[in-house]
Amino acid sequence: MTVLAECLQPDPSGENCGSRLGTMRALVALMKLRPGVLRRGGSGVLAIVLLCFWGCASAPAPRPTAHPFDDVRRLAIIASGESSFSIVGHHAEPGRTFDEILAWYPTQAWMRPLAKLLHRGINWALELDQTATISRRVDDIAPRAIVAAAMAQKLRASGWFDEVRTLEREPTAEERRADPIVRVMVPAWGLVRVHEGDPDLLASFADVRGYLMIPGTGVVLWEGNEDVTAPEQFPGDSFMKDHDFARQEVVDVLERAGQRLASELMYARSAGR
Amino acid sequence: MSSRSLAPITLVLALTVNGCGTTALDVRYPEQGVNRALLASVAPRRVQIGNVDDRRLETARVGIEPGGKGEIVTSRSVADIVHEALGIEMSKNGHLLVSDRPDVVVRPAVEVFSLDAVEGYASVQYVGRVVIALTVADGRTGDTLLTRRYAGVRRRQVDKPDESQWREVLDTALARAMHDLATDPDLVAALGGSRPSPARPAA
Repeated sequence: MTVLAECLQPDPSGENCGSRLGTMRALVALMKLRPGVLRRGGSGVLAIVLLCFWGCASAPAPRPTAHPFDDVRRLAIIASGESSFSIVGHHAEPGRTFDEILAWYPTQAWMRPLAKLLHRGINWALELDQTATISRRVDDIAPRAIVAAAMAQKLRASGWFDEVRTLEREPTAEERRADPIVRVMVPAWGLVRVHEGDPDLLASFADVRGYLMIPGTGVVLWEGNEDVTAPEQFPGDSFMKDHDFARQEVVDVLERAGQRLASELMYARSAGR
Repeated sequence: MSSRSLAPITLVLALTVNGCGTTALDVRYPEQGVNRALLASVAPRRVQIGNVDDRRLETARVGIEPGGKGEIVTSRSVADIVHEALGIEMSKNGHLLVSDRPDVVVRPAVEVFSLDAVEGYASVQYVGRVVIALTVADGRTGDTLLTRRYAGVRRRQVDKPDESQWREVLDTALARAMHDLATDPDLVAALGGSRPSPARPAA
């Protein structure tokens, strides 16, 4: 009954639908094994099963948090935080091979953490080498400035704001009093493997965050986290052999990240109204 | 209700869940999460949304389960999902959905609607991609006012994979494409009956 009660709980995130499907399988199996259940309470069980399905179907997608801020007509955007360029391979090997070897030695449990460590170390070294090769060509890119500029441009184009400024340093006391501030961060950017195959395909990416705050109050009007990935995917060689191409792709995705933040900020502007 | 009459229902439910190696995802654009945005800044229009042209290279599925165990499909057609999403966005922004005498005609096409899984050693990375192409035409003259693509991509890395994450990834990719569409000033101009400014190149 506990399982059924959990199944009937609202699940806005939709994260538990997998376990609900497992519960459904168990219920269907129960109905097959116990014909008496069907006779006595079949329709009740069926109703519960359908309710489980209904709970999954209506789960909304996660959205950034926001309060309405229709009255905000002037904005200042400031970029802050650290940014690191990386090439994320997300490889299964050599860890899986280690696991296969360890399967022959089931009693050697202490070797498993060692294998994980070795897997991470080898991939870290490989990715570091690739990152070093490309990062020489992208060293002079200022990811936060590109994201902030693209965001400002899209916000201005909307016509919703009288003024959108980008600041290159922390605002002065006077500036802080003037306008709400959007703080933009780009913790990670680079290239990521997005498709397994022969060859594997990579895309440029930027993980960005934005906060719209009223200065001096600590009030956050809007918050957005975006994992931005370029829609186009290319073989790894395209990036490794043509560094100008790699540079253009990462600049494009940083601009796209700024536009995405602007879209989500504008979409949330009248949230709930 | 007798056990005999319940048997077919049970069978249908079991097939829905297990799907003979196919997992059906109920991908949708949640109406309760839709806001009035830039599309509401133009006066209410009579909008006709045409049938969605499914231009995907592979229409039978949206992805393959990690490890190649089975196919991932959507429980409704991708064309229906996109048509519904556009309808929700337009009506929520105050426009009237009509089937005759429209002010503007929106002709959508879905070019990508896919879920990729990249298996790592101790985690899986999902990438959901949705690309919707829109053509907006004047309802009276038939003149094309705007042609544009909107791409939504969601990337998510998980340590403990389960099926609910597949739907979340596609839901979010669809929502991102729709939010880009709903905040596009050129689409607003086209809905109002004018061509977008040439200063902004089409995507």
